[in-house]
Amino acid sequence: MADAKTIIAARAGRDLKDGQIINLGIGLPTLIANFVPEGVDVVIQTENGAIGVGPAPAPGCEDRDRANAGNQPITLIPGGSYFDSATSFAMIRGGHTDATFLGTLQVDEKGNIANWIVPGKMLAGMGGAMDLVTGAKTVYIVSEHCAKDGSSKLMKQCTFPLTGAEECDVIITERALFRRYPGKGFVLEEVAVGYTLDDIAACTDMAYAVADDVKLEAFGE
Amino acid sequence: MPKNKVVPIEEAMSHVESGMSIAVGGFIGQGDPLTLIDHLKLMDVKDLTIYENDAGYGERGVVELVKQGKVKKIVASHVGTTPAIGKAMNEGRLEVEATPQGTLAEMMRCGGAGLGGFLTPTGIGTIAEEGKQLITLEGRKYILVPALKCDIAIIRAHAGDTWGNLIFRGTSRNFNVPAAMCADYVIAEVENLYTLGELDPNAIHTSGIFVDAVVRANVEYCTIREEKFNG
Repeated sequence: MADAKTIIAARAGRDLKDGQIINLGIGLPTLIANFVPEGVDVVIQTENGAIGVGPAPAPGCEDRDRANAGNQPITLIPGGSYFDSATSFAMIRGGHTDATFLGTLQVDEKGNIANWIVPGKMLAGMGGAMDLVTGAKTVYIVSEHCAKDGSSKLMKQCTFPLTGAEECDVIITERALFRRYPGKGFVLEEVAVGYTLDDIAACTDMAYAVADDVKLEAFGE
Repeated sequence: MPKNKVVPIEEAMSHVESGMSIAVGGFIGQGDPLTLIDHLKLMDVKDLTIYENDAGYGERGVVELVKQGKVKKIVASHVGTTPAIGKAMNEGRLEVEATPQGTLAEMMRCGGAGLGGFLTPTGIGTIAEEGKQLITLEGRKYILVPALKCDIAIIRAHAGDTWGNLIFRGTSRNFNVPAAMCADYVIAEVENLYTLGELDPNAIHTSGIFVDAVVRANVEYCTIREEKFNG
């Protein structure tokens, strides 16, 4: 079986819809570009100033002026373009971006996201994440289900400072997929291979409903 | 005839004094004005306030000025690529103010555009709204963010002419464009310098109206050098 990150990225890839403009966060979310389904064309925006991000360049063809927001070398697909940061965030904040995929430290049952600071320990900074969760039409949290200490990242209430309030629409972990609906909160729609409904309940602190047609063994083979 | 703004780096950088605010272009090394930062390392200035997306990458960039003790405060969206920043902050040698990336870019753009500030939905319901005025318009809540005006801006461009018209390359455009707009004195280091009329007027990203001084970038920080600019 594939590792957790690959399982999450592959399931997130299956959620992509033809024609979408998407932004992928640093780390795990970047892997989603490897799992775009056949027949689906998406356009990838990177907030440091490019749209139409293509495959990584061949070794030796890297260019210091062509990189993504994680400083990895990129290429552009035909039709891609570059722009400045104010324009980039007009694309993001202005509602022109269909979906953003971000990792997280915590997410809670109201859709609150906390992924930029551990008070007293780590200050990376929010980068573009606050703008992305505010402006993108659909906000995906793609993250391992539990923190390194085994505690659930899917909490009743975030304890770290928030990146966005009530902004998360979909949570994809290596164990399950939840979608949030107005008035209903998060609904468990899919369970990964190797887990039962009881397993998910045991490792999930946030409240959620189980879909009538919840799919077991839905992904993660 | 537009003025020739090409000056020796010493003359351009002599405008920087202790206690000043400096907007810095670049994005974790992409388009960072390393020639000008290198010169700042040699200068006897302190208590600088830096407005930049980040503090550079690894050991290179504004992080070097922080390690030298020249920086009092940095306003940035992300400092995770320069571990020395977290260390300086934890030891009380540096104040760090985290600002959402889109907010920082717009603060600079607004400062240069003569606007007093702007309303952003980014950060509502988070600590980004603390101490800020909130305004509700047509049912949506916004943070009122004042525009940014800095004393100095230091930026890097791929190509520039003697009046300071600038062309950037790839993802090195980033914060160089808004930073160029928000300062009283704007210094651009250019990788390739052209005489007036050589750059295609349709291809200019930043007009020379925003630029006060043009200096040559150190050759080792140049990505591509070419006799004729071809975009």
